[in-house]
Amino acid sequence: MSSRDATAAEHDVTTAEMPDDRVTPTTEEEVAELLSEATETGRRVGVWGGGTHRDMGYATESDLVISTAGLAGIVDWEPDDLTVVVRAGTPIVELEEELRRGGQSAILPEQPGAATVGGVVATGVSAYARLRYGPTRDRMLEVRAVTGDGRLVKGGGRVVKNVTGYDLPRLFTGSFGSLGVITSVCLKLWPLTEATATVRLTEVPPLRLVHRPRAMLETAEGVRILLSGTGPEVEDQIRRLGGEATSGFDYPAPLDGPLVWSLRIRPGLLGDALARLPSGADFVAQHGVGEVAFTAPVDFDIADLRGWAEGEGGAVVRLRGTSAADPWGTPPPALEIQRRIIAAFDPRRIIEVGRLPGRI
Amino acid sequence: MTLVDELVAILGSERVTVDQFALHLYSKDAGASRGHADVVVFPHTSEEVAAVVRLAAARGVPIVPRGAGTGLAAGAVPNEGGIVVSTTRMNQIHEVDPVNQTAWVGPGVINLDLSVATAIHGLHFAPDPSSQSVCTVGGNVASNSGGPHCLAEGSTVAHILAVEVVLADGETITVGSGAPDPIGLDVRGVLVGSEGTLGLVTRTLVRLLPNPPDVRTLLLAFDTVEAAASTVSGVIAAGVVPAALEMMDQRMAIAVENWLHAGLPVDAAALLLAEVVGETAAVDAEADVIRRVAAECGAASVSLAADEDERALLWKGRKSAFGAVAQAAPDYYLHDTVVPRTRLVETMASIYEIADRYRLVMMNVFHAGDGNLHPLIAFDSADPDETQRVHQAAQEMVEVCVSRGGVLSGEHGIGLEKRDLMPLLFTPTDLDAQARLKECFDPTGVFNPTKILPEGSRCFDLGSRFVPEGAWV
Repeated sequence: MSSRDATAAEHDVTTAEMPDDRVTPTTEEEVAELLSEATETGRRVGVWGGGTHRDMGYATESDLVISTAGLAGIVDWEPDDLTVVVRAGTPIVELEEELRRGGQSAILPEQPGAATVGGVVATGVSAYARLRYGPTRDRMLEVRAVTGDGRLVKGGGRVVKNVTGYDLPRLFTGSFGSLGVITSVCLKLWPLTEATATVRLTEVPPLRLVHRPRAMLETAEGVRILLSGTGPEVEDQIRRLGGEATSGFDYPAPLDGPLVWSLRIRPGLLGDALARLPSGADFVAQHGVGEVAFTAPVDFDIADLRGWAEGEGGAVVRLRGTSAADPWGTPPPALEIQRRIIAAFDPRRIIEVGRLPGRI
Repeated sequence: MTLVDELVAILGSERVTVDQFALHLYSKDAGASRGHADVVVFPHTSEEVAAVVRLAAARGVPIVPRGAGTGLAAGAVPNEGGIVVSTTRMNQIHEVDPVNQTAWVGPGVINLDLSVATAIHGLHFAPDPSSQSVCTVGGNVASNSGGPHCLAEGSTVAHILAVEVVLADGETITVGSGAPDPIGLDVRGVLVGSEGTLGLVTRTLVRLLPNPPDVRTLLLAFDTVEAAASTVSGVIAAGVVPAALEMMDQRMAIAVENWLHAGLPVDAAALLLAEVVGETAAVDAEADVIRRVAAECGAASVSLAADEDERALLWKGRKSAFGAVAQAAPDYYLHDTVVPRTRLVETMASIYEIADRYRLVMMNVFHAGDGNLHPLIAFDSADPDETQRVHQAAQEMVEVCVSRGGVLSGEHGIGLEKRDLMPLLFTPTDLDAQARLKECFDPTGVFNPTKILPEGSRCFDLGSRFVPEGAWV
């Protein structure tokens, strides 16, 4: 195992400052009490994990901020089952470090900064390695959460395969706190591989030159192919790709700038997308996935790029910073059904109100 | 006009049937329960589905969506009567996009047909239930189907990017996208696995995976079930997640061998079928790991499929196992539960004990890699006493699995079969939350009523007093 990704915390991404006026419950019951009371009094509640994705979505106003910092730690880790139950406030760095000791990973974002498990699930962000392992939501086996009106609800189960009732674990993934406070999740794990490497190239190789690489990242500096597998397999893939190889995962530096956007598009259109970025933008494009994160000057007009992306079934959403432009763009169709779902979990509508697309 | 007249007005008389034989066929799925279909319809388009749904809603008649009817949990059984909507004629592969490795398909497309049709692009649809040569993609979506190869690739939900669905008011919406991380709540994720209770899926955007460059398939024989189960855990612990890791016990091996002559070692207590896929260098190394772990666990024999024909024969033995059971008895009850992989050995022991205690013939062939058990009880439904024992044993088996940290179903779903067992796993508050979710989509209960959630699930009204006036909950 390379040490490069063991040092994810070095690459701190920007962290918003947590408001001083906050409560830090340490049990689910305390969370339930807080939310139940807030529902009765109509106080608006914000939920705070690591604060790394506060700029995503509409800014919300809150009378009370619940920090998940007191809900931290691994509850149950069965290496042979490839599952871990972990509380929401656990920092990603700590979880992955612990799992690494047992030769496993939850394949969560590789440069998480202060992000927590609950925050990553609530915002639905994924690792670069999603090209090989799928997005974070596909590792969500069980969710425990307190609804906006203080009900403690569990969905899913602690096994790797499950069709027992509606898929609440996926519903909560990317819900941005709008349904309630996630208190713990059970995640599917993967074993670490024997060998890892990063191959640097000047151009994107044909998609299937190597079978299912871990990630194919393009930046202004060129292309990096991240490989993981058995020793002979990775060696063979390096040979086929050519280019300059180093062992371990050499991730691009996190994007630095006051405003960072994420363009999401069918992967085949990624080349077109890159040609449309603002000139001089820093970017990290995930080939095969269809996401480009890029920096833009604050006065850059996102409208044309967004219009094109939305016309192709994609989106341009704000990852970091403040902007005059809408953080989400055009809301998805069938907003009414989303509104009803939120009302089913948060009837008085008190938690992270209006953060999602459509300000629902 | 009668209901049937109105349906004929929408679909024409050839695609509406009240023929007694058809109603008989469509009144059950591949499980044991039977309902009563009032009428069966075969729409071609989502517009037709929407018209049928609007009619059903207006008349207060249930809609029971149905794919190939291979489900085992009575999810497609019209137990409350109503209109069975068969999707089998919506079987078009609308568009294959080899660049983005996706396809838009109708719900009636047969699972295996999709992989066959996309093979020309070197792509396949990963979910591969044993019934894949007949079951439909729409059915897979409804029950979040698995199959041997979801050990490494995940169940159906990981392969569905978007769905077009007709809701209870007849509105047709599309949720999800071919672009990553569509914004807003993951309504797509909720629809997959909802067993036709939230809406009727009329089109699906599926993710296709590249066919692996190489494959190794191993057949491992063991003198004890424990040794086979230890090998399963050992392989995972050694850092290998095989594409598939299937177990077959001796009774099942004998039944299959008698029927198929695949060369299975019938003197072994348990067989493992292991498959690794990927680059040649990877599959060789991983096959070595499996061999080593199996040897450490005392495997009696290990053999590697020499070519594609041998591999195909091994898989035929696995996937047609249920057919082989016909030799043992006229009927079978196939169970589907999951336990954590580490609890396999003790759970298997309990399941054998239960079957013996109820004097039942039980065989096992299952997805050992993900702890997904399929105890299969052969019986004669003409014998009421035996049938009664089958049901009692089945319930005890579920209870044992849940007590070991397991769940009710890994890939078949809850349907009617396990609906009343849901409280084993969920609190009244959990079930109430699920019932509320159902109401968001289908407030009047048009779609597949009484499935998944036990009666009385919507018991809590904790939050309703806070509902703002006019809010739609």
